[in-house]
This record gives sequence, C-alpha cells and structure tokens, in this order.
Amino acid sequence: MNWNTALPLLIVASSLLPGLMIFCLPENRVVTRTTLNLAGALLKIVLVGGMFWGILHGYHFETRLVLLPGLDLVLRSGPLSMLFVTLSAGLWLITTVYAVGYLEGSPYRSRFFGFFSLCVTATTGVALAGNLITFLLFYELLTLCTYPLIVHRGTEEARKAGKSYLAYTIAGGALLLLSTVWLYTLAGTLEFTERGFLSGLDASLHPTLMIIFAMLIAGLGVKAALIPLHGWLPQAMVAPAPVSALLHAVAVVKAGAFGIVRVVYYVYGIEFSNSLGLTLPLAMLAAATIIYGSLRALFQDELKRRLAFSTVSQVSYIVLGIALASPIATLGGLIHLVHQGVQKITLFLCAGNLAETLGIHKISEMNGVGRRMPWTMAAFTIGAFGMIGAPPLAGFFSKWYLGLGALDAGQGWVIYILAASSVLNAAYFLPILYTAWFKTPPDSWPAERSFGRKETAWTLLVPPLVTALLTLALGLLASAPFNLLEWARLIVSRGFAQ
Amino acid sequence: MNAIVSAFLLLSAPGLPLLLAFPALHTRLPWPVHMALLPAAALVFIPVDLAIELPWFWQSAGLGIDAVSRWWLAMSVVVWGVGAAFLPVPTKRDACNPQTSLLLLFLVGQIGAVLATDMTVFFGFTTLMGYSCIGLLLAHGDETTRRAGRIYLVLLILADILLFEAMIMAAATTEHLDFATLAKAMTLSSSSSFYLSIVIVGIALKVGLWPLHLWLSLAYGSVRPAMALLLWLGPVATGLLGGLRWLPLGELAAPMAGAVLLAIGAATILYAIRSVLWVQWKQRLVCVVFIATGSFIMGLGTGLLEPALWNQYGDSAHLFVTTVGWGLALMTAGLEWSKAGGEASGPRKENRIELAVERWSDAFIRWGRRTGNETLPGLRASWFVRWGGLRQKRGWQNAFDAGEYFLQRWPIAVTLFLLLVIVTVVLLLLDAM
Repeated sequence: MNWNTALPLLIVASSLLPGLMIFCLPENRVVTRTTLNLAGALLKIVLVGGMFWGILHGYHFETRLVLLPGLDLVLRSGPLSMLFVTLSAGLWLITTVYAVGYLEGSPYRSRFFGFFSLCVTATTGVALAGNLITFLLFYELLTLCTYPLIVHRGTEEARKAGKSYLAYTIAGGALLLLSTVWLYTLAGTLEFTERGFLSGLDASLHPTLMIIFAMLIAGLGVKAALIPLHGWLPQAMVAPAPVSALLHAVAVVKAGAFGIVRVVYYVYGIEFSNSLGLTLPLAMLAAATIIYGSLRALFQDELKRRLAFSTVSQVSYIVLGIALASPIATLGGLIHLVHQGVQKITLFLCAGNLAETLGIHKISEMNGVGRRMPWTMAAFTIGAFGMIGAPPLAGFFSKWYLGLGALDAGQGWVIYILAASSVLNAAYFLPILYTAWFKTPPDSWPAERSFGRKETAWTLLVPPLVTALLTLALGLLASAPFNLLEWARLIVSRGFAQ
Repeated sequence: MNAIVSAFLLLSAPGLPLLLAFPALHTRLPWPVHMALLPAAALVFIPVDLAIELPWFWQSAGLGIDAVSRWWLAMSVVVWGVGAAFLPVPTKRDACNPQTSLLLLFLVGQIGAVLATDMTVFFGFTTLMGYSCIGLLLAHGDETTRRAGRIYLVLLILADILLFEAMIMAAATTEHLDFATLAKAMTLSSSSSFYLSIVIVGIALKVGLWPLHLWLSLAYGSVRPAMALLLWLGPVATGLLGGLRWLPLGELAAPMAGAVLLAIGAATILYAIRSVLWVQWKQRLVCVVFIATGSFIMGLGTGLLEPALWNQYGDSAHLFVTTVGWGLALMTAGLEWSKAGGEASGPRKENRIELAVERWSDAFIRWGRRTGNETLPGLRASWFVRWGGLRQKRGWQNAFDAGEYFLQRWPIAVTLFLLLVIVTVVLLLLDAM
C-alpha cells in the first residue's frame, strides 16, 4: 500500500482512531480527551490539505478493499469528494473547539466526544465513497453514530426525538438499501462514474430506473429533509448546540443533499436524468420544500426550532440547483453546500452561546441581548444576512448562480421561488435582529452565567466569530485565487458534456 | 497616479468609516464621522480620474471616480459634514449605543455606492446603506420614526429583490456588469423592457417616490433636520444615482418606460405642491425634497423617451442633484443653528416681547392707580374693540381652516384625481406623438 492508496483511508482513520480511544478514557481525563480531539481534527485538515495538493499536481488517490466478491469498499478522491470532505474537516475542528467549551463540566463527555468523532468519520466516508455500496455503509454508520448524540441529554424529550430520528432514517436507509440492490441487479456495478453508469442500459428498463430513482431520492430525502420527510429535524433540536451544528451544517442533512448530488450526477448522470424527465419533479419538490420550510420558520418562537425549519428550506437550494440540470444552477447548488454549512453553523453556535450564557432559548427572551453579547450577536447578524442573501456575503452568490441558472435552464418560475424565499428569509431573520439590537434589555436574564468582563467563554465565542468571518470571506473573496467557485466549476465541467 | 495610491484612496473612502464603525474605535475619537470622511474629501480634490478593479470579489467589480461621480462625492461630503456636525458626538459611555456605528455603516454604504463602477458593488453598498438607515430609524426613540423604519424595511426588501432580479437579467445578457458595458448591452437584449420595468419599480421603492413616500414623510416629520438631511442623501439621492447608473440612458429609446417615469415624476411634484399648502413651515423641507426628486425622475423619463436629448443635456442631472444637496445642506444648517440659538438664549423672541408688554402694561396700570387715575376700564374698553376685530378675522381663518380640513379628509380622492389627470395627459401626449 503506497501513499496514493493509503491517504483516503488515513483521512477516515484520523477521526476514527481518536474516537475509539476517547471511548476508553475515564470521565476526568479532560486534557487527554481534548488533546485527542484537537489532534484528530488538525491531522484530518493536514491530510485533506495534502490530498488537495496531490490532486492539483495530478495525483489520484484511491483505497479499494474487497467486501464481497464483486463488491468493493472504495474510497476515492475527486473534485466533488474534496468539496465535501474539506467542508466537514474544517467545520469539525471549529465544532470540536466549541463543544469542548460547551460541555465543560457536563457528564458523559467521553461518550459524547467518542460518538462525535465517529460521526465525522462517517461523514468523511460518505464524502470519499467511490461507489454506492461504500456510500450506503457510511451513510448508515452516520445514522447510528448520530442517535446517541441526539439523546445525549437523556431527557424524555430527547429520547422521543431520538426515536423519531431513528424511525425516519432507518426507513430511509432501508429504501436506499433496497434501491441499491435493485440497481446492482440491473447494472452489475455501483461505481460512481462521471456522467453516470446507467445511460447505456436498455430502453425497456427506463420505467424501472425511474422507480429506483424515486426510491433513492426518498431514501436520501429523509436526511436532506425534503418535505414530507423532514419531520425528524425540528424535533432533533433538543440535542446540545454542537450536535445541532453537526446535524445541520457538517454531517447529516449535508450527507442527504450530497447523496442526491451523487445519484443525479454519478449514478444516473445529469443528462440521462434529464432525458428521463426526473429532474423537473425533483426541482418542484425542492421548491416546495424551500417555501414550506420558510413559512414554518416564520411562526416559531423557539430559536433553534426556527433555525431548524430554516435548514429545511436552505438545504433544498442545493437540491434545486442540481435538479435544474443547468451547469450554472448546479454551480449555485454546489457552492451553497459550503455556504449554507458555514452560515448555519454560525447561527447554531450563536444560539448555543445565548442558551449557555444567558439561558435564552426563545426569540421572545432575546430583548436587547445585542447589548449584553455584542460579539455573539454580530456573528449571528452576519450569518442571518448571509442566509437572506445580502451582498457581499456568501449566500448572495448561491442565490445569484441559482437565479442565473434558472434562466439558463429556461425555468423562469424558479426566480419567483427565490424571490419569495428571500422575502420569507428576511421575514423570519430580521425580527430576531430587531429584538436583539433595538429592544430594551430586561433587568435579568433567564439563567445568566458570569464570565467576568467577557461576554462568554473564549471557547464559545471564537468559533462563531471564525465562521462569521468565513461567511464574509467566502463572499468578499468569491473570485480570489483557489476560490470555491473555480472548484465547483471543475465539478460541473466534468458532469456535463461540453 | 500610482496604482497603489489610487487603490489606497479608493479603498479607504469606504474602508475607514467601516473600521471606525467599531465602537471601541469611534468612542475614542472626536468627530468620528468627520474623521471617516477625510479620504472621501481627499478624493474630491484630486483632479484625476481613478479606478481600481476588485477581481477577487467579482470579475467586473470595481471602484472609481470620474467627473460625474466627483460631483456626487463632493455633494455627499458636504451633506455628511453638515449633517454629522449637528448630531450628538459619541463618548466612551455610548459604547453600547449602536447609533454612531450605524451612522458610520450608513456612510460606508453611501460613499461606496457613489464610487461603485459596476452593478454588484453598487448593490452591495446600497444594501448596507439601506439596512443601516433602517437601524438608525429603529434606534430612534420616537414611535413615528420606528414606524417609518418598519415601512422602509418592507419596501427595501422588495426593492432589493427586484434589483437582484434585474442584475440576474443583466448578467444573462452580458458577462460584465460594469455600468459602461451594461447600458450598451441592455439595448441589444430581448428582455430590455422587462429589465427597465423592474429597475424602475425597484428604484421607486428605494427612493420613496409617490405613492411609496409614506415612510419618508413620517421620518422627516419626526427626526431632527440634520438626520432628515442624511436620510435624503442616503436612500433618496443615492437611489437616484442608481437610476442614472442602471438605466440605459442615452442608449435605448423606451417610450413607455419614459412616459411612466414622467408621470411618476409629475405626480410626485404635484403631490408636493399640494402638500406644501397644508404642512407646517418646518415640513416644507420635505416638499422641497419631493419636488427635487420628482424633477429628477422626470429628467430620467425624458432620457428614456429621447436618448439624443439625454446625450446632449444629461450631464446637467448631476449638477442638479449636487445643487439640491448643497442647498438642502445650507437650509439644514440654518435650521439647526436657529434652533440651537433659540434653545441657548432662553425664551423665544415672541415670548420675550409678550413678557415685556405685560411688564410695561402692568407698571403703567400701577402708576395710574398711584396717581388716582384708574386706567383699567379704559384699557378694557379698548381691548374689547380690538377683540371684536380679531374675532372677525378669526371667522375668516376658521372658514379657510374648515376648507383645508375638508380637503385633508379626502387625500386619497385628491391624489387619485391628480393621478387621473396625469395619466390622461400622458395618454394624450402619447397619442399626439
């Protein structure tokens, strides 16, 4: 095994091994646990950076292990894999720093951080999967690792949310498994291929392929929170803030959306999907989810719940971009995969800060909180404006390319969906900002913790500030060298015939 | 000029106020807004055209200053200088008060929009300016101003969405969104009429043109004149600059869009003339603003109707806005000074006269009593005579008041009537053409 074949496996192992070691640590070994966590996260970033360097210099990285005769476990580098693996590796480091501060003094931290690391391992596996069976294995591992994190607090509400999460995701996983097996019997391969591997099949199989496509989308749509399969996501808000950040920005919903990209581009191929008439219904489903999620977010008083419905809406931008079957719209969808992650993690970390520092969980409790926690609320403001799509923040460019792509694809109606969604985004984010910045603060907060002259602990404050700056940088430096847009263009150019 | 110096000057014009927007910095400085204006003021006096590209942001993005934008920048610097001079200076104790930060962000947006050479940079800066302006209105304690802020927020969101769609349409036509390319490209586009309509509605929403002016009337009525001046410079004047930049003036003949703009401009002027009779003298400043805006919009309409005419006289539009800006700055300074003078020297002039009359008449009556001459009955008789005359005058005043009150109860009917007249005139004009 040489460097080219070992690197994908090492990237997966960089979070798996620290995770397994953390499980064995006693509760009071705080320093060792933190060191393992941070070392794993940093090592992963270094390894991903190395893989990036290798790809830019023409190297190809692939690990192939035999699972069953004819079925291999394949981890492979590629432009799309790198996009997701970089996002998850970067945000994992930030979330880990935050989680260390957030859970300071809480019980069962070894269990928490163990599953936290396994969760990121599964996400990395999903990102690097070279075929559908590898994808499925890591996808299911992700389900199993996330469950203990959702029920971590052990309350009745948490257990109920966990049960709901399992019911949804296992059903989705079963559908995914069934469709994968069916596809294998038809095609004889499950290898992800640029422009898909199904277009060569006999025309008589096309109706079957359409059914399988619907099953795959339904299976992946659970984690991507497409309506009506989104019910688990708002319930899972009972989990601690770092887990919410992980669910919404790094791992779970992103894995679902990423899976849809894989199916449309690398299993069916965008042109074949389009010729079967599969993309338009998917675009319509995504559009309906965008509007529904925003409408539901509008009426939530609980901050995390509002953010959860916002995720339901925002993740569907990715699906919409893919389903429009236009290179420009796909570009918009792919960059939104990163932009949504960075912006949403900022919002969740800020929500966590408010809950941990002042005991604020509801928007109606946020009166004048901007004066008490100006840095946290400044980060929240940047994240919120990014979500609305205000220039020059990251979200603006996602909406820009989606709108331009809609015109390119001849789907003018999408412009109206984007406009309506922007209005709704503003309608549910701006009242939060108004309450926080312009209302008079109360005499006392629900459960205030003192941090001296600081507004909160450094470990809680620095991560959202970093992600807020990233939101700003992704917009302001959108066309800088080595930018995200160029990377997304490379992925798109390989997916579409020139 | 050296490229590095150009880049430094152009970036520092919006960059310095952005830096000073941090409370930790501006609370330690005297006159932070004036300090933040220094790079922009320096740019006004540099007699060469400067431009920089911002390729790391967008391929056609840039900032620059030419003869046209120099006029706007000069006007902005004067207006900001005057406006900020009459607003409270922050102290260290104001660190938690967001007003100065918002004011500086407002300045960033306004100056950046003037210097923008392409649609994306202009859109980005005006968005920042708009939301900062709303923040300023909301931070104001008065409920009327807050209401104005809320109304403007809704209008701004709608305007931004429309202008965003316009940008997407422009980008679908031409890759480069710089203003020079845009005007030419939109003349060749098949969707130019739709582009024009959404830009016109978007600008109307941003600028607060009649009949979308409600928030402006509310805001001008409740904030102090210096803030009203800045509210004119930000959403109104910079919105008008947007109209100049985004519409393909002098390139494309669009009779329908031109006629619509002429009609809206005329309606705004008529509305202002109608209002000027009813409002207090202080609020007549608002009417001046509406008349100037209406005139400018009519100018834009003419530009779309007759491109050749615009090419000949279009440059006067910049001079017009600059003159209006300087005039308003002068009026505001006068108003603020007279207000400050009145507050500083105790009772107002009229009150002082009344007090003197009372004191002297009182002394006169007491002197009459001492000398044995009771002056009171005679005085009382003469007052009764005067009072009768006054009552007669009062009767005429009441009649006028009742008439005005009657008209005020039917503003919508009057406005609709005016609109009907304007539409009829425009249709007749179009028919004649």
